This record gives sequence, C-alpha cells and structure tokens, in this order.
Amino acid sequence: MRCGYGLAALPGTDARFFSPETPFLRLPRTVHPTRIKFGSFKIRAKIDEARKEVSFYELLGISETGTLLEIKLAYKQLARKYHPDVSPLDRVEENTERFIRVQEAYETLSDPRRRALYDKDLALGLHLAFSARRRYQHDEDLEDRNEWRNRWQSQLSELKRKSMNRDAGGNMSWGARMRRQREELSKEL
Amino acid sequence: MALCACSFPAIISCAASEPQKSTPFASHLLCGSDLGFHPLFKLNQVKKRPGGVYASLSGGAEYYAQRPATPLLDTINYPIHMKNLSVKELKQLADELRSDVIFNVSKTGGHLGSSLGVVELTVALHYVFNAPRDKILWDVGHQSYPHKILTGRRDKMHTMRQTNGLAGFTKRSESEYDCFGTGHSSTTISAGLGMAVGRDLKGERNHVVAVIGDGAMTAGQAYEAMNNAGYLDSDMIVILNDNKQVSLPTATLDGPIPPVGALSSALSRLQSNRPLRELREVAKGVTKQIGGPMHELAAKVDEYARGMISGSGSTLFEELGLYYIGPVDGHNIDDLVSILKEVKTTKTTGPVLIHVVTEKGRGYPYAERADDKYHGVVKFDPATGKQFKGSSVTQSYTTYFAEALIAEAEADKNIVAIHAAMGGGTGLNLFLRRFPQRCFDVGIAEQHAVTFAAGLACEGLKPFCAIYSSFMQRAYDQVVHDVDLQKLPVRFAMDRAGLVGADGPTHCGAFDVTFMACLPNMVVMAPSDEAELFHMVATAAAIDDRPSCFRYPRGNGIGVQLPTGNKGVPLEIGKGRVPIEGERVALLGYGTAVQSCLAAASLLASHGLKPTVADARFCKPLDHSLIRGLAKAHEVLITVEEGSIGGFGSHVAQFLALDALLDGKVKWRPLVLPDQYIDHGSPADQFAQAGLTPSHIAATVFNVLGQKREALQIMSARN
Repeated sequence: MRCGYGLAALPGTDARFFSPETPFLRLPRTVHPTRIKFGSFKIRAKIDEARKEVSFYELLGISETGTLLEIKLAYKQLARKYHPDVSPLDRVEENTERFIRVQEAYETLSDPRRRALYDKDLALGLHLAFSARRRYQHDEDLEDRNEWRNRWQSQLSELKRKSMNRDAGGNMSWGARMRRQREELSKEL
Repeated sequence: MALCACSFPAIISCAASEPQKSTPFASHLLCGSDLGFHPLFKLNQVKKRPGGVYASLSGGAEYYAQRPATPLLDTINYPIHMKNLSVKELKQLADELRSDVIFNVSKTGGHLGSSLGVVELTVALHYVFNAPRDKILWDVGHQSYPHKILTGRRDKMHTMRQTNGLAGFTKRSESEYDCFGTGHSSTTISAGLGMAVGRDLKGERNHVVAVIGDGAMTAGQAYEAMNNAGYLDSDMIVILNDNKQVSLPTATLDGPIPPVGALSSALSRLQSNRPLRELREVAKGVTKQIGGPMHELAAKVDEYARGMISGSGSTLFEELGLYYIGPVDGHNIDDLVSILKEVKTTKTTGPVLIHVVTEKGRGYPYAERADDKYHGVVKFDPATGKQFKGSSVTQSYTTYFAEALIAEAEADKNIVAIHAAMGGGTGLNLFLRRFPQRCFDVGIAEQHAVTFAAGLACEGLKPFCAIYSSFMQRAYDQVVHDVDLQKLPVRFAMDRAGLVGADGPTHCGAFDVTFMACLPNMVVMAPSDEAELFHMVATAAAIDDRPSCFRYPRGNGIGVQLPTGNKGVPLEIGKGRVPIEGERVALLGYGTAVQSCLAAASLLASHGLKPTVADARFCKPLDHSLIRGLAKAHEVLITVEEGSIGGFGSHVAQFLALDALLDGKVKWRPLVLPDQYIDHGSPADQFAQAGLTPSHIAATVFNVLGQKREALQIMSARN
C-alpha cells in the first residue's frame, strides 16, 4: 500500500503523535515488586524508548522472512518465558516490559496487513512503536475521512460542470444521441 | 477498510461522542490487564439514541439478548414511507434495521456479514431513489436482506431460505423491487446497462443503480460491462462496495488473508492518496484566477492532472469511460445521501462509478472480529455470537475431498489445486494450510481458472480445479476448447452437484453430468459415498492422458469406512460395481443417488421384491458389460441420477439402443431431475418436489410392473 505513512512519520512530525518521554523520565523511577499495570506512564515511556532500538523480528528472534508458524512458535516460547506470573520476583518489571513488547510484536507480525505496514516502516528505517502507530492510525483515519469528503465534493462539482455541455452537438455517443432525442420529443409535447 | 483497534484512553472520548461508529476490538490479542476496559467501553458506546426504549446490555455479552424495540422501522413498510425522514432519523433507522437483520438471521441462518456492511447504503439508496421505478440491482444478492426488509418483506423474514419462503438472493418473481435475479456474481453492471439502454430506447427517465462488490469486480464480466457502458454513455450509476473481502470465507484457517489480486491494491491506493489533493487545490486556485475563456483550458488541465496524479485505480475506471467518485465512507449516511442526491439531480451524467468503502459485519462486534466476518451463518445466539452448529458423526464431502487431495499431494509433488475465491466452500483452505505454494486462488474468475489449469497441465503438473458444479457453467467454453479439445489432463472436482437446499436454483448443480459427459475426451465419474470419493480422487490423479471430472453433493458422508491414511486406490476406469445382487428389478444409480436406490430396495423388500442395486461409478466411459448384464437378466431397469435430462440416463439409453437391448423385453425407465427449477428449501422438500426420494423410486418400480396399488401405498405411506 503506497500511502502517506512514509511522509508523515518523519522524525519532525512524529513528535506530534508520539508521547514525549523526556518529561516522564525525569520522574523518579520506583521499582515495584508487584505487577505493573500497562496504563502507567513510566512503564510506557520506558517501553517506547526501548522499542526504538530493537525491531520486532530481532525481538522474536526470527529472520525477516519468517513464516507465520515460526512467529507463533517464537511468540509462545517468549511469552511463556517472560509472563509476569512465572518470572522471579526481582525480574517482574523487566519481564513484564519484555512480555508486552513481545506481544505487540506478535500482534503486528501475525496479521499480514499490519506486517506489510511494519515491513515498510522498517525499510524506511523507522521503528514506530505499535502504540504510537495505533493512535497515529486512528487520527489518520479521521483525517482520511475528511480527505475523502473533500475529494468527492470536488469530484461532484466537476461532474456537474462536465454534464453541462456533455450532450453538445459534437458528442456522438449512443447515450448522448438518445438523450437528445428524448429532449426533443419532450419539447414537442 | 479495517479501522484500527483503539484501546487508549484518549480515544474513548471521541468514540463516545460518535456512538454510531463502533471500533472493532481485537480482544483476543490484547494482554490480560487491558481487558478490564472492554465491557465498560461497549456499554458506554451503544447507548445514546434519541427517544425510544432500548434493551440494555448485560455485562459480558456484547450485543442485545432480546430484540430491541424498532419504533422507526415499524413505520416503514415500503421505501416511500421513508421519504419524509430527516437524516438523523435515517441514522436511527439504519441502527434499527441492523438489529433487525441480526435478529432475523439469528433465527433462520443465512448471510450476515455482507448484509451488515450495506445497511447504511441500502437506507441511503431507498431514501434518495424511488424504487421500483428506479432500478436498484444487488450483485450476488446475499447482501439484500436489508433491502428486502425495507421493501415490504419484513414480516416474511422468518421464512428466509426455507421452503416456500423468501429467497436468499434477489428474485424477480418474489417482488417488483427485486429487479434482477442474482446469485452468481458480477452480473449487475451488465444487467443494469441493459435496463438503462432499454429505458433510453423507450424514452423513460428513471434511474438505474447497480451495486457490486470488490470481490465481484475481479470477474471479467464486470469489465466487459464497464467497457460497454463507457462506450454507450448511457446514464447509470455503479456503486462499488469495497470492503476488501475478495474471497470466501474471507480468511484462511489461520487468520485473515489479504485480498487476492492486483486490483485490490489499486483500490487501496485510491483510498489513501494524499498528495493529489494539495496539487489539485493549487491547480484550482490557479484556474480561478485565470477565469473566463481560460476555464475550458484549465478544466482540461485539471482533467489530465487528475488522471496522472490520482491513484491508478481511478484512471482505470475513467479509461473505461465511467466517471469516478470516491472513496466515500459507506457507513456515513450524511455523505451517502448527499452524494446520491447530487448525482441523481445531475442530468446527462453518463455512467458514474461511486467507490463506497464499507466494513463487512459492521455493527455486530462478533462479526467484525471474526476472521470470516460471519459471512454465512447458521442459527446463532445474538448476545454471544455463538452459532448452533449441529454435530454430525461424519464430515462433509467437501472436507473429505480436501483430505483426499492432501493425501494424494503428499505422494505426488506435481499435484496443485486451483479454486475461484472459494477456499472455504471447496475445502481448499485445508490444502492451502498444508501446501501453501501449491494452492491457487484466482479470484472470482472461473474461466481464467480453467485455462490457467490447462496451462499448468501443459507443463506436466497435475491441476485439480475445484469449482462448484453451478459455477462451472461459467467456464464451459474453456473446458471444451482449452481442456477437452486438446486432451489436457485437468481434473475437475465439482462440489455442490445436484440439489443444494437453501441456496436454491442459482446454486443448484443440475447440469454438470449433461455438459461434461457429452465431451469426447472427458472421463466422467461420481462417487456414491465418501470412500468412493477418496478412490475417485486417486483415480483422477492417476488419469494423466485426458481430462477427468467427478461430482459430489452438498452434505455429509454416510459413515462408511475410509481408506487408510486417506489415500484412495485408483479404480478401474469404465467399471461399475454391484452392491446388492437381486432379481427381476435392477436399480442403476449414478453418484449419491445410489444411496436412494439402496433405501428404495429396502422399501421394496417389505413388499416381497428383491431388486439388484448397481453403482455405475462412471458415466463416461460407461460400463457396457454391466449394463448389458442388467438389461438381459432383469425385467425392469431403472436409472437414477441427480441431474437433468441429457446426463447419465441418456447415455445409458443411447447405449441400450445401439446395442439392440431395447429390442428385447426389458422395461427401462430413467429418473432425472424434472424439467423445472426447484426452488430453495430443505433438501428433503427439494427431493420430494423433484421426485427422487426412495419412495418415488420404489413407486416407479411398482408402476412399471403394473402394480399400481402397491405404488400408491408406498407414496401415501411416506410423510
């Protein structure tokens, strides 16, 4: 799908959708021995930052041409390894992080469409975090809809303009001839 | 176009303000801690509607359990009742219509996903246009449930797809609002053009609207029609309903699959083309400044710019002569109504194509999430989405065929499989999973599939073309000219042969024996049960010097022992078998009709007759010695098949005549499908109407023997 993603995801505009992590990193990081909820900004900041370096393929430990089966196996292995319930207490935070990343990686790579998008981004050198892309995508969808509206509105006005002189004498298509005939008949009546 | 899976807090606010938009949840993919969001989110979302009492959702279920009240829909019996509604009320109507469709289909089974995707489109079309004077054609017809509800058939929706009930597709004899009968795809642009030209010749002024899906666009006929429409320049509107679902069941066994074909990516490009707009705006600004006579020139520039810069898809339609408008959000009634109104009021448009983007299964969370988008469902529970699939001891012939083919392909690496956008229906999704490189989905293009298979056969591969018997009709010239004439070893596996039940005559495979068996080089065979099917797949794989075909019906096997390892043994070509030896009367069946013969034999046994039951196995080449033996040793010979005249029975007749067997004393009678189209209904009802039940066979025997009383007894005993 050749589309606008490549354009808008440049580092400059990226910041518009991407939650800036610097303010949050300044907060003191406390290590919680218990499980950490996904909604926490701190963990999200850390994840976002960490994600930027490792691609999903490297994360799962498979090659970029891995098949669905390989992806599934890798995911299952890693999920079992890093799930918070089975990790030792001192590693819970780190492992939860990893688990979430692995899961995102699986989500993206197992859906052929998302995978295609991701591969494209990768080729452009971007490791867009899935979370950022999701938000970005939704906003993009809304923008798309407005985009579409503008487009078809101009198409409609174009259509109206074209139809003005469509059946001018020169047009010899069958439909034009029939329409002229019909107009003449109705004028006579 | 799949909307993203939104689960971030920031998004909830905008979703709640637009309660009509439902965002799909990939809840099975999100990790545990996130799931807390969902039930709450859903409850917030579906609520706010002006006025009216609505059933509330219980926690956990994602849809209503009881049918919600539909005050607005209750006032609409025909489209004319919609004319005074405001756009806001139309939105409410769409919601009510959607829930009506869901609850109706939950009781009867049928096609759900496609109907849900076009609810808003149906409402907008009937609001803007004046059916039945304006013609609205629905391609394939399986998405016409909302259309039927709005056009006076709401009270009959509980009879959908049942005997004497509503047809599952549009049908001219059912209502004047169904202007063209559909069932096979890609026919509406052609028919619509015909109606438009007819209108022009008669000097009328009504509108013609043809709704066609992106899947149906992969068929050649759509292009033939658009090409002609562009040339004739007659006023008509084509609505391209694009939901990115080309094949059925829109998914493999392992998950969603991107649409087949290059066209889909072209359509996607159309949907996501940004830079175009900026440039056109600039160009417009420039032309405005120039003004006056320069406008003509500027308009031409604009047109060229549009053609060059816009996605190549729209140029495709424009090149064919259709004016392209879109893409349009197919779930936004405002947009749809304004566009349709504009196009309707513009005179002399010529052919116009409106590219509408919808989501299959929209509005029903389970359908949105499901891989197959709930395309075809049996009865289900609306609140939980669970389908009530009956359990059966045996599997369907379709599954057995797929397993047999997989077993053959394990042994022989030259075997490949081809289907036309019917991975689920032909069972080849199983084959795809096992041999992803050897299974080809060509989109809805049966003609191409057959010639493609012929090309593969030229290179020494062994192609198996799995195409429904009734869809094979589309590819007949290719079978004759490209395959049979050149004697290329292509194997045709024709599923849904004979009567098919709820889908009705559009999908009925009545004619395949006739049109295959008259071809000089074709081997034609039919299994009488699933074990025979395994053997016939093996036989077809072994026939490497000529084309071959075999047919099997819809339905499940009878429960015979399957060959070990699913690997059949090739049969001797042109040899039948005799399951029961008897005397005086011979019942010669072809295909699964043999089962009916066996049942008839037990009926006759209770009246003291012990007939021979034979399974012909091959219609071409016929087992001459078997038939000769039967004709000489019996007083009565009855041939039974689930096909039209001109098939197995006729070939037997020809042989009997040429072999001088009709000069003797044997009384021969054929039992075939009658010379009429059998309407949709339950298989039992259809067989009864066709006259091919075991009771009919037994009664025929008695009639021939002159025992009319026994014949009547048998016919009145059945119920």
